[in-house]
Amino acid sequence: MYFQLNAVLFLPLLSAIVIALFLRRSRWGGAAVSVVSAGAAFGIALWAMFSESPAFAFKSSYELLKLGGFTLDFGFLFDGLSRNMVFIVCFVGFLIHVFSVGYMDDDSSKSRFFAGMSFFMFSMTGIALSSNLFMMFIFWELVGFSSYALIAHYSDTEEARAASKKAFIVNRVGDLGFLLGIIFCYSWLGTTDFSELARIFHEDPSKVSTSMGLLVLCGFLGKSAQFPLQVWLPDAMAGPTPVSALIHAATMVAAGVFMMARLASIGFLSEDALSAITALCALMAFFAGLWALGQNDIKKILAYSTLAHLGLMGVGIGLGYDLAMYHLTTHAFFKATLFLAAGSVIHACGHQQDIFKLGGLFKKMPITSAAALVATLSIIAIPYFSGYYSKEAILAASYGRSVDGAIFDKIIFWLVMGAAVLTPVYMGRLFFNVFCGKPHSDGAARARESSLWMTLPLAVLALYSLAGAWSFAYGLLWMDGKMNFLMPSAATTFIGSVWEIHRSALLKIPDVHAIKNAAFIATLAGAVFSYILYGRSRGYDLVERRLPGVYRFFNKHGWFDDLYDWYVAKVQQRVATLLATFVDLLLIELLVVRGVGMVCAVIGQGFKRMHDASANSEIKWLVAGFALLMILIYA
Amino acid sequence: MEMDDFCRVLLNVAVYAPIFGSVCVSAMFPFFGNRSAKAVGVAAAGLSFASAVFIWAAYASEFSSSGGFAFATSPEFFGVALPCLALNAVSVPMFALAAVVGLAASLWAARTEIGNARLYFILLMFMQGGLLGAFSTTNVMWMYMFHEFALVPTFIAMCLWGGAGKRMAAMQMAVYLTLGALVSLVGIIALYARTNSDDFSLLSIALAVAKTPLGADWQYAVFGLLMFGLGTLVSLFPFYSWAPRAYSSAPTSFAMLHAGVLKKFGLYVLIQVAVPLLSAGCADWSKTMAVLALFNVVYIGLVTMAQRDLKMMVSYSSVAHMGLCFLGIASMSVLGVGGAILLMFGHGASVALMFMLSNAVVNRTGQWDMLKMGGLYKRTPVLAAFFLAATLAGLGLPGFANFWGELAILVSLWNFSPAICAVASTGLVISAVYGLRAMANIFMGEPTEGLSGKFNLIPDMTFGEKIPAAILLALLLFVGFFPKSVTAGLDADLSAVPTLTQSK
Repeated sequence: MYFQLNAVLFLPLLSAIVIALFLRRSRWGGAAVSVVSAGAAFGIALWAMFSESPAFAFKSSYELLKLGGFTLDFGFLFDGLSRNMVFIVCFVGFLIHVFSVGYMDDDSSKSRFFAGMSFFMFSMTGIALSSNLFMMFIFWELVGFSSYALIAHYSDTEEARAASKKAFIVNRVGDLGFLLGIIFCYSWLGTTDFSELARIFHEDPSKVSTSMGLLVLCGFLGKSAQFPLQVWLPDAMAGPTPVSALIHAATMVAAGVFMMARLASIGFLSEDALSAITALCALMAFFAGLWALGQNDIKKILAYSTLAHLGLMGVGIGLGYDLAMYHLTTHAFFKATLFLAAGSVIHACGHQQDIFKLGGLFKKMPITSAAALVATLSIIAIPYFSGYYSKEAILAASYGRSVDGAIFDKIIFWLVMGAAVLTPVYMGRLFFNVFCGKPHSDGAARARESSLWMTLPLAVLALYSLAGAWSFAYGLLWMDGKMNFLMPSAATTFIGSVWEIHRSALLKIPDVHAIKNAAFIATLAGAVFSYILYGRSRGYDLVERRLPGVYRFFNKHGWFDDLYDWYVAKVQQRVATLLATFVDLLLIELLVVRGVGMVCAVIGQGFKRMHDASANSEIKWLVAGFALLMILIYA
Repeated sequence: MEMDDFCRVLLNVAVYAPIFGSVCVSAMFPFFGNRSAKAVGVAAAGLSFASAVFIWAAYASEFSSSGGFAFATSPEFFGVALPCLALNAVSVPMFALAAVVGLAASLWAARTEIGNARLYFILLMFMQGGLLGAFSTTNVMWMYMFHEFALVPTFIAMCLWGGAGKRMAAMQMAVYLTLGALVSLVGIIALYARTNSDDFSLLSIALAVAKTPLGADWQYAVFGLLMFGLGTLVSLFPFYSWAPRAYSSAPTSFAMLHAGVLKKFGLYVLIQVAVPLLSAGCADWSKTMAVLALFNVVYIGLVTMAQRDLKMMVSYSSVAHMGLCFLGIASMSVLGVGGAILLMFGHGASVALMFMLSNAVVNRTGQWDMLKMGGLYKRTPVLAAFFLAATLAGLGLPGFANFWGELAILVSLWNFSPAICAVASTGLVISAVYGLRAMANIFMGEPTEGLSGKFNLIPDMTFGEKIPAAILLALLLFVGFFPKSVTAGLDADLSAVPTLTQSK
């Protein structure tokens, strides 16, 4: 097992190194090596999952650093939770690699792109396999770097230049808190190993600390782009579309959720910390849905939708971490599908990303459109589509909390409900404008269905968007129980084991069926509303024309960017300049250093005057010296 | 034991090869041209490099669990006793760093056009010999002497080959560093005199201290002298203002060696001499040191953000990073001091790389102002990749040696004071801001108008430029992936220092 895990982790790194060193100028070499490495990693991950009974847990450790009492283990923890994540990363990652071969065909620096993708696979797998917080932090930083490098792919554009920097720095702000939380944990409990921590918290629940949880939460807020660190994710769409699909939708941004699920499952997070997550994420789930209505760029709409769904997952952590992982899993499938469909459209329409300039693509690109339709139905939670199961579970659990709960729980429930209603509105806006009606630009008019490189991964992912959740909902074992419908059983044990208990609890909630029906009707109403507003594919946004104030509210996404830009330009940079000019240059360099120099020079000049080498002054010195000597002798 | 003897020989070779080369070229001045002087310089640096790497490997394999001084040798040269040399786990990494950066600096200088390369290499070799000696001698007085050997060539080189504002910068640096060295010399002499030690060797002083411990007042005074004297050499706040100007006007190879290696000497002596011998003094000063060091991290960090001149930014950033090293020492723990060594090592390689690459950028664009560059990636992808790697190393990304240093220091600081730990960690964000801003301004976006004329003529890195950069990057990555190559013996050595293991 140790060998397999090392192979899954290091094969992509090897691929990145080989590409960077030898295949930089190669036309297709980089792509080939990268795709093969991703495929091999996926295959070996499956092998590892099939080689033991589904519920096994594997642990290893290798001491990387030891100083004083401090040791840092490079350890693997391959339990149900990490298997779930590894499966998503390797599977979706491999498909997106294949898609990229088609998408990046006309790119001049393909090799750099594929090296970045491989490096990302390495670092993301590392997060999933980490056995302790320090190791997770190491890979956490590395995915941050991969994200930076891939956003910067079109490095000559102004958007990529600003967005890559912003993504890394905003993430660093979150990581600062994360690191302090880890150090706090280590200093207080003497370990950051997950199984050790689980034992400690199990034996003595009073060791759980809210401030520790809140510090670690900062890492989640940065990586999963939640309030108030969400600003980097929409800008990150400046990267190539496969990157947006893999990193900024399916896997990396979900790493925050994965980390929180890991910590929640070992009892790391106190009730207060969980409430904080729930509150921040519920707000995000609702507002990101609103803000999505103010975007015209197809990728930005999907980015805000990602924010909203990450918010839902965050709410899921507060309600029971299995719900978060459940939604993470289905979201990875349908959001990757949506992004890849968007990529296919963008590629076919000459890099046109404005949804009001597209249109009428259903006939021209049937496979892409069908995949997008399936994923859209999944994301808006139509029954039997995978998104329905996970979203409905979160909704029901949040309703269960609110029935006898405080006003806080009720607000959370209504925010989640609001998010559920908003999803069909903004997704309808996207779908109707892009795929229905008639084309509104030359690019869209000339569009043709993409190559097999792109449509094949799309088709597979669309299948998972439809049926990815059936494993959990129905438990369809085959291959001697090694496979659970479309997923390896080993990757379903984490959600499965908790979800069984959770579901029966949910079913006991009074009126839960009424709420489910109400949510379904509300979803349909949202879809109909969306059709009325946007269904005609007019080539412009009706809301923008008729209600510019409302549109502006959506479009400005809470004025966060304006606030931060103001802070950076008017506060941070001014303080820095002030320090550099007044304190550093004027006070220290000129006043103190040169001042001391001047004083020395003046004194030196004085002494020089006294030694002008004339007989007159020589005699004066002689007399003075003689006098001093006399005083010293006789006093 | 044959291995040990071999390492003793190599130790002498590493230190004296550059000095010998320097003396040879200067004694037979007329027989050397620029090319042959360059060849001698590179050969001497290569010899030191090979020896030092071999010694590092030998030490790591033989003494990784025990630590302690090894390969002690007191050579004689025609009847004259040369300083005793030996290495322990604290000095091995610094010694290796000096040799590696020395080779990179020589290779870089060998491939660039320099007026009077003969003299340049005489000075450079002498500086290297001084550096290697300073980190390998066990005699405190000789540490000081070797340090001066390395320092003086820097002044001369700055005056001869320096850039804009060189006279003022060289003057300021000379005054600052000589004063700092003098203050610390007073401390060293006080230590020697008060303990009635037989000589200046570390071992005798340590034995004397063990026999008659210094009183608390003397410890306070001597540690204070050493801290501020050596602190000036390392640009501790508020004695830093020599550094940015000096580095930005010094010729590249000397800036690399000074900022990368020589500057670490002050920290090295603190760790090797002051902390073990002056336990109570260290405890008295640790809070002050920590607060001053926080100014380095935060205040200098912000000043760095405001810089538009590329070399000034790199210079200020190197001042800022020294704050973390001081914080590691102030934490008075094995982890903190070990982290300081790791960071000294990592920073030494990364800042040397950064100076080299900045020079490459400036040579290509003819610009210092980062806002007047832009879009360079299109013309120089390899240079951009190296620059990005150096930036990431500087901002402490895992995979580079610097990360381990920063991590260890921050972890150790929490026990010292969570508040100081929290303030110090803002350095992570600050360094990301200026590092990535530089990357974005220089390499991304469209080229500015100032560049548009010659933009299409800008060449990528040549093979001769890639080699030294690759050497430094390889070192950073190697220790980044195998931190035990530095810390294995260090753990044993530092755990034997009572100052660092007393529970607080």
